[in-house]
Amino acid sequence: MRTDYVPPLRRLRVLNAIIIALIGLLVARLWQIQVLHGAEYLRQSEENRIRDYTLTAPRGVIYDRKGRPLVSNRPAFTVAILPLELTHPARVLPRLAQLLGLPVGEIQQRIEANRDRPFEPVRIRRDVGAAAVARIEENRMDLPGVIILVEPVRHYLYGPMAAHVLGYVGEISEEELGQRRDQGYKPGDLIGKSGVERVYESVLRGTDGRLRMEVDALGRPLRVLQRVPAIPGRAIVLTLDLTLQKAAFEGLRTGDQRSGAVVAMDPRTGEILALESMPAYDPNLFAIGITPQRWQALTRDPLRPMLNRALGAAFEPGSVFKIVTATAALEEGIVGPTSTFYAPGYFRLGRWIFRDLRAWGTVTFLQGIQNSINVVFYTLGFRLGGETLAAYARKMGLGEITGVDLTGEIAGTIPSPSTKQQLIGEPWYPGDAVNMSIGQGAVTVTPLQVARMISSVANGGTLLRPRVLLLAHERDRTARPADPVVQRSGLYDARALAVLRAGLRAAVERGTGRATNLTRVAVAGKTGSAENPRGKPHAWFAGYAPAEAPRLAVVAFVEHGFRGGLAAAPIVRHVMEAAFPEGTATVREAGR
Amino acid sequence: MRPRMLRYVDWALVAATLGLVLGGAVVLYSATRTFPDPWAFVKARAMHAALGLIFLVVFAAVDYQALGRLWRPLLLATLVLLAAVDVMGRTAQGAQRWIPLGPLSFQPSEVAKLLLIITLARHLDSHREVTSLRQVVPVLLHAAVPILLIVQQPDMGTSLVLLAILTAMLFAAGTPMQTLGGLLASGALAAPLLWQMLHDYQRRRLIVFLDPTSDPLGAGYALIQSKIAVGSGQLLGKGFLQGTQNLLRFIPEQHTDFIFTVIGEELGFAGALVMLGLFGLWLWRASIAARQAKDRLGMLMAVGVLAMIAFHLFINVGMTVGLAPITGIPLPFISHGGSALIAMLAATGLLLNVGMRRKKILF
Repeated sequence: MRTDYVPPLRRLRVLNAIIIALIGLLVARLWQIQVLHGAEYLRQSEENRIRDYTLTAPRGVIYDRKGRPLVSNRPAFTVAILPLELTHPARVLPRLAQLLGLPVGEIQQRIEANRDRPFEPVRIRRDVGAAAVARIEENRMDLPGVIILVEPVRHYLYGPMAAHVLGYVGEISEEELGQRRDQGYKPGDLIGKSGVERVYESVLRGTDGRLRMEVDALGRPLRVLQRVPAIPGRAIVLTLDLTLQKAAFEGLRTGDQRSGAVVAMDPRTGEILALESMPAYDPNLFAIGITPQRWQALTRDPLRPMLNRALGAAFEPGSVFKIVTATAALEEGIVGPTSTFYAPGYFRLGRWIFRDLRAWGTVTFLQGIQNSINVVFYTLGFRLGGETLAAYARKMGLGEITGVDLTGEIAGTIPSPSTKQQLIGEPWYPGDAVNMSIGQGAVTVTPLQVARMISSVANGGTLLRPRVLLLAHERDRTARPADPVVQRSGLYDARALAVLRAGLRAAVERGTGRATNLTRVAVAGKTGSAENPRGKPHAWFAGYAPAEAPRLAVVAFVEHGFRGGLAAAPIVRHVMEAAFPEGTATVREAGR
Repeated sequence: MRPRMLRYVDWALVAATLGLVLGGAVVLYSATRTFPDPWAFVKARAMHAALGLIFLVVFAAVDYQALGRLWRPLLLATLVLLAAVDVMGRTAQGAQRWIPLGPLSFQPSEVAKLLLIITLARHLDSHREVTSLRQVVPVLLHAAVPILLIVQQPDMGTSLVLLAILTAMLFAAGTPMQTLGGLLASGALAAPLLWQMLHDYQRRRLIVFLDPTSDPLGAGYALIQSKIAVGSGQLLGKGFLQGTQNLLRFIPEQHTDFIFTVIGEELGFAGALVMLGLFGLWLWRASIAARQAKDRLGMLMAVGVLAMIAFHLFINVGMTVGLAPITGIPLPFISHGGSALIAMLAATGLLLNVGMRRKKILF
């Protein structure tokens, strides 16, 4: 330590003086602008007419597998309110409500919901149309704080067609906002609520841009100060085929049926080519913000149009389940193609009698499949037992979630002696196995599960995950194709499968499924008429074509359609005809 | 550290520091409450302040003589850190200033200020008097390397802070006025050269400082809006959380470099005086620590810290009211930014350190 240290007091004093002078300068300057000129700056801050708008990014376009757009965006006018410029709400809001034909309360509610973000326009009504825009522009002087934005609105080109696949968008809910705030969502943003719109939200959603503008006292733009362009969402290509989708949509609506579903699938890949549920809703109504009345009409409709009957509801499969019983019997080796059965029109088990449509006499197993003879399957079901039947049903993908990339899927029920009590709350009766063999009792499945199952028969024994995404585009706009996902393989023994497929072909050629017998392509399939406690039997048809090398599997389901061969088979026929236009199928087959 | 030194802790300095940090956190909340997560910045501030207080205690406890003896590794660390920014730094808003550190990142240029004060003080202290050019040139080189590394990032503001620290410390070390004057003159001559080195946006900021209306939409925008914000606060302010300029986010960087606009707008001239009063108290205690230091090393360290805070304060507040060019340096203890807060608290610790070990003139 230096002992001769003397502090440089003079120089330190100079430093102090400089610092005091600088602080004094700051105080003087603050006095000048805050106190002397404060009023002038206050006026400027009040007149600061710079507006920041969000430029809503359009969502990604959704295409069918051949590049035909199914969902796009169209520009529309949105009426919005800038809360900070709404200086006379008591005068402006009733006037605006009158011009828009909306209750004042609803406008107030929307403004209230956005209180935290007073600098952001509150969207009052989307897609108002040119007439309303003209009325608002005419009354601009009376409507300070009201602005018109041009924003993209989701456009579903075919209205209710494929609505249950595409889904719909809606304003983000409080709950969704809580989960996704860190992803940049804000109140009033649109978000996918169901279907593809929801499952692929992160792909379809774009990045909003910003526009900073200087405006005059009436809110008219003077100049653009800053523009950060919106980045549109990425496009998605679906596995759907518009042609088949149309055929499914029309097919369901040709008769006087009220509700049902169709699933068409490529059995080689699991790609869903068409998926329809009837009745449907028009997703365009949601795109602009659905009115409470319409929402209530949709949710209170006893036919439940919002329900996707292809995968969101489970039904008794009826005779379609005989495919399971036949497979189980063949695999277990208790039956062969020429095994004979005596079918007197009923099956007796103790004191219970199980009925058939009519007496058939002595028939072969193949004839049993062809004509859907209940007694044949009663016999097999009784011999196999409930546990074995249930095991085969589950192995073939019934009673479980398929894992499709859509929302709202349910599992259905496959009861067995060991699980029935737990699943349904009733004990297992010996007759249950007999009932189950023809798809009755407590068995419920979704049409999508049946489509996956019939696809596994068509493709030689592989259970593929059904999917609707063909390819999505990455952020760098390169395409990323989705590959088939094998869920289970080697399901069937080759000889057993050959017998089953011969039976399904016979059913279409000369049995219960004759309504789908086409000349242009060989169809194979199984009908079903499922009795249920709620009304007329459900009509089913599950089939595939061409029978020798299947490229298409189709399942049609008509709720309370009465007879599979009458109500469901014609729908499948309609889809098959669209998939194999006159003349082409035979050419393709020849080329194989 | 001997326990009796605790008697010499400058509690007024501690109080001023805590007042600035706590008041700063409140203002920070107001500046960031319209952000997606309104509490994120305040939470981060609490964490940084806790960490900073640990640094404060460490920098107060370890004898500054010992810190001075470590000057070689400290200087090396400064250079390595600054060089590392160029190599692996994270870029934000066109400048590469941050080093990623796991989930965090830190800004070596903030740390460099404190380290430069310590190493320069030691370097200057090794000469009894700084008279000949033979002594001044190594000191200049010592400071020039980190300054150039920071200019390179580019971070004009921090380079200017380092220059101010260097000048003040050279002055306090007794450099003859002719030498200092010569240095300043040659600096002025080199100015056109520096102008060439500046980035476009930096040149625009300087032009805007001289004439804000020359570019009211671009670089002048921030200055005009920040003056409107501060001025519209008038005598008593619009009230806490009531600032419209603040709310509308007219001002860019209002939680970092322009945070004073929130004070000016919401708390008015009165609030600004309270803040300046706390800084005044802080700077007064710092100058006393410099005067009472028992040796030249302690005095030089105190002067360095004093110059750093004073320069930050003047440039930061000055730029929001058009007294200084917009250079982007934080308001000490108040602006958002963890590295800066921690470095400032560590610097406060260094001041306490010098004060605690002062000459026992009180006895």
